[in-house]
Amino acid sequence: MPTIEVERRDFESLLGLELPGDMEELDDMLAYVKGEVKHLDEQEIHIEVKDSNRADLWSVEGLARALRGFLSLEKGLRDYVIAGSSGVNVQVDSKLKNIRPYIGCAVVKGIKFTDMMIRGVMRLQDKLDLTYGRNRRRTSIGLYDFDLISPPLRYSVAIPEQVSFVPLDFAEKMSLNEILEKHPKGIEYGHIVRSHAVLPLLSDSKDNVLSFPPIINSNDLGRITENTRNVLIEVTGTSNETVLNSLNIMVTSLADRCGKIFTAEVHYPYKERKNAVTPQLETKTMHIDMADMNRLFGFKITMKEATVLLGKAGYGIGKTRKNSITVKIPCYRIDIMHPVDIAEDIAIAYGYNKIKPRWQRLPTTGSTSSQTQFCNLAREIMVGLGFQETLTFTMTSPETLQTKMNKKREKVVEIANPRMVTLTCLRNWVLPSLLEFLSHNTHVEYPQRIFEVGYAVVFDEKAETKTRNMAKLACVSTHPNANFTEIKSCLDALFLNIGLRQWKIRETTHPSFISGRTATIHFKDREIGIIGEIHPQVLNNFELKSPASAFEINLEELM
Amino acid sequence: MHMAHLRKHEQKTLLALKKRARVHVEKIAEISGLAHSAVMRAVLTLSEKKLIKVQEQKQLIVTLNPEGKHHAKRGLPERRLIDSLIKLGGKAPIEKAAKDARLEKKFIPIALGWLQRKGWATIEDRRKLKALRRKPAKGADEKLLSILDEKGSLVAEELEKDLRSAVAILKRRKLVEIREKVLREIELTGAGQKLVKKRLQIVEEVSQLTPELVVSGKWRQVKLRKYNIEAPVAKMWPGKKHPYARFLDELKEKLVALGFKEMVGPPVELSFFNFDCLYTPQDHPAREWVGVYYVKSPKRGRVDAYKPIVENVKRTHEEGWKTGSTGWKYRFSIRDTQRLLLRAHGTALSVRTLLSEDLEIPGKYFAVARCYRPDMVDKTHLSEFNQVEGIIVGEDLTLRDLLGVLERFAIDIAGVDKVKFRPDYFPFTEPSVELVAYKEGYGWLEFGGSGIFRPEVTLPLGIKVPVLAWGLGVDRLFMMKAGIDDIRYLFAQDLDWIRRMELT
Repeated sequence: MPTIEVERRDFESLLGLELPGDMEELDDMLAYVKGEVKHLDEQEIHIEVKDSNRADLWSVEGLARALRGFLSLEKGLRDYVIAGSSGVNVQVDSKLKNIRPYIGCAVVKGIKFTDMMIRGVMRLQDKLDLTYGRNRRRTSIGLYDFDLISPPLRYSVAIPEQVSFVPLDFAEKMSLNEILEKHPKGIEYGHIVRSHAVLPLLSDSKDNVLSFPPIINSNDLGRITENTRNVLIEVTGTSNETVLNSLNIMVTSLADRCGKIFTAEVHYPYKERKNAVTPQLETKTMHIDMADMNRLFGFKITMKEATVLLGKAGYGIGKTRKNSITVKIPCYRIDIMHPVDIAEDIAIAYGYNKIKPRWQRLPTTGSTSSQTQFCNLAREIMVGLGFQETLTFTMTSPETLQTKMNKKREKVVEIANPRMVTLTCLRNWVLPSLLEFLSHNTHVEYPQRIFEVGYAVVFDEKAETKTRNMAKLACVSTHPNANFTEIKSCLDALFLNIGLRQWKIRETTHPSFISGRTATIHFKDREIGIIGEIHPQVLNNFELKSPASAFEINLEELM
Repeated sequence: MHMAHLRKHEQKTLLALKKRARVHVEKIAEISGLAHSAVMRAVLTLSEKKLIKVQEQKQLIVTLNPEGKHHAKRGLPERRLIDSLIKLGGKAPIEKAAKDARLEKKFIPIALGWLQRKGWATIEDRRKLKALRRKPAKGADEKLLSILDEKGSLVAEELEKDLRSAVAILKRRKLVEIREKVLREIELTGAGQKLVKKRLQIVEEVSQLTPELVVSGKWRQVKLRKYNIEAPVAKMWPGKKHPYARFLDELKEKLVALGFKEMVGPPVELSFFNFDCLYTPQDHPAREWVGVYYVKSPKRGRVDAYKPIVENVKRTHEEGWKTGSTGWKYRFSIRDTQRLLLRAHGTALSVRTLLSEDLEIPGKYFAVARCYRPDMVDKTHLSEFNQVEGIIVGEDLTLRDLLGVLERFAIDIAGVDKVKFRPDYFPFTEPSVELVAYKEGYGWLEFGGSGIFRPEVTLPLGIKVPVLAWGLGVDRLFMMKAGIDDIRYLFAQDLDWIRRMELT
């Protein structure tokens, strides 16, 4: 979820409205744009925008634009007029076809940048690259001081070691290879293009490098300052449509700063795509059926109301028929995929809090799952036996599951991308979690008797997830006189109370338990668990100070 | 004060003092037949009750150390040397005399020093010794040595004057150990004497009523000791449910009462259910390593059981299929649907339910699902947490009904005073609604997120009726109830905290 930092005065001037000082009131107003105030002071407001699909809301200009509609300060489509041609031509090299084939360009002139505006534009660019641009794989944006560039431009390829330029935030020239190896952006995004023998390069008629898409801009040309008046915007990418969409978001945002929009001409060498003039700011259309809308809402909105609400949400109205409207979608609404997206905007414009909630008494009967019911039975008995329930993580480490338990290494469900060394796999038994719990509580009064009904995950080749989830009950008693007899009494009481008669135990050896005081637990000739006194080495490993006896049973076998 | 108010060993102690002046604790033990520790306990309480007086007397106990024992057996070095010198005629070289005395080398300087100090002999030229006495008499130090050798220990205060000064000498010569002992002498006070005279007979007094006493009727003959009922007692900790688990149990009950059925499913999940069926494009950042935990091995599960559904989902992502959507417009990979991950949200379970043969329409479902996100664990983040969410499936369900469900939850589950709805966003619902609820004492809290499943979600699964999806932010509710601001306490490892947690 992007957080937009706005200057209060700037936001107010874009809105044409004084903002409420009260946090709750401000939150209610920002709810229209799915925004929430995260920080508020005299100068700045930080607004979290929850919609990660509404790229048009990720700038102060976009927020103000949308809010003006909802607050009835502006109605319907906002017009973005092309002022003329910038005269920029971009020649695309056919070798880019399988690397990064598309480019869109525009020039916005006559902007007075402030530091805050520049930071806002940079954040919008970053967020578009990250989310909409799929971390620059799909699209990436470059901004340049137009007055420093000599068109026409060439979007071509270069042999990595043969071209060098000074990348943004660096002082010295670096070859494309060096950028991939040493520049932080090269390291971060190099994987997108590294496999190609030649790499994308955007340069002007004087052979000055504008950028090495999608990695980094030139430090000389690709920098916007408070002195910049005219901006060249360029978007490259793997899909023509998303390239043009990204460009629209940037262009409309800058145009809202009183910039005038000028087009560029892109010359493609590909068979299926000839020349294109960009940006393309035309509206798209979508038909909505008012009967469908009302069925979705559960209350009636008339055609007339709908057109008003659509206007508030920034849409234009095309043809209206008896029960349907052709909606004009502004060029920056790149999120609209389905009439339900427009429906939501109508509902928001109507006001969620004006809708009367309805609780439908559906003829359903509620119940917990049979698994939960059985687990609750086991929990009830354990509590009755004086055991304290614990709740531990199912994620742990082989260190806890095996090394500390004195066990040999065995395969467990490991995580490919762990974040912490202590959480690298899923447990295949629960007892280690309990011993770990006790290790944090050696100073707490004894006796300590704890249990958990939790799950463990084991491999199962037959399952569609190749794994199986098992509800297990584990318990431990630790105090100076803890022993096998005590814990066996508990097991006995448990089985007696869940009505289990046909169970046996058989002596066994297990590295986590003391031999001669360990047994497997059997039900109808199936092994369902283990019981015994914890091995002193294991107690040492967990730094436990008192003897402990424990059992663990697989509840799935008993359900 | 009555004799019977005293415990048995207190009575015995008093009786042992009868007609005797000061008595040592040891002696009382001997007379009464009580253990030393029992007498000590009795002395303590009796003196608190001012029935006896305790005189404490400090004694110095003298014992020999190993070197002292050695000299006690063989004689002091100077004695051994003078004896051998006299045998040699009263005059001899030091070495000769020492050799004859078989005096250990280390003792020679000591012997020479004391010979001169005691005036028994003198050293002449060329290191010759000359005896000054013919037969020096035994000194007090030597007497003390032999008494100590015989008795093992002595009380310094009980010795005669010369022997007492010898103690100091031997102490300086580092031949004896001296330790302090406190001697307690007990005597009756006036009140104590009165009490003893008044009542001589011991009444059987009992602290624990035994089955034998009950059955035999002997309880009539004994006195049941009065307890100090205000004395602190040992702590007891009952077996209890974990506070958070208990909270979730109650929540389940409330949901069941509202007509919801519980869903369960695997924590290791297919990307298909976690993402693809929920219309999350395969190149979306949420699906990257920073957004979700993937299983290292095996990497992939199987989706062959859902073949037609997979095809519907693929076409919906790519171009919208029959859903009326534009789709995401990219190449959908079936291989990616098989990727195994740790369930990132409970909505995966809702998808499984919608595909289940047992699905009821209308139907209401909920799950308390363990979910996983790759976050570093800290005060506000967990890597693993419980999500409470579910769906309502039925003809004619609308946005109004969605708001109705949320309002119901807010009132029935959180017991809030006011609710507010706000636009929200989820990739798989449209419209989406957030529930904000006001509860006295807590303020406004974001209590739930919800929405109506997009047609891009329901139609590929073969669901032709609206599906309302909801999730409740119960963690925060519990934290407020339990008065904690550290989310790690949901999985608290602190036994003491869990034990002390009140049931509310």
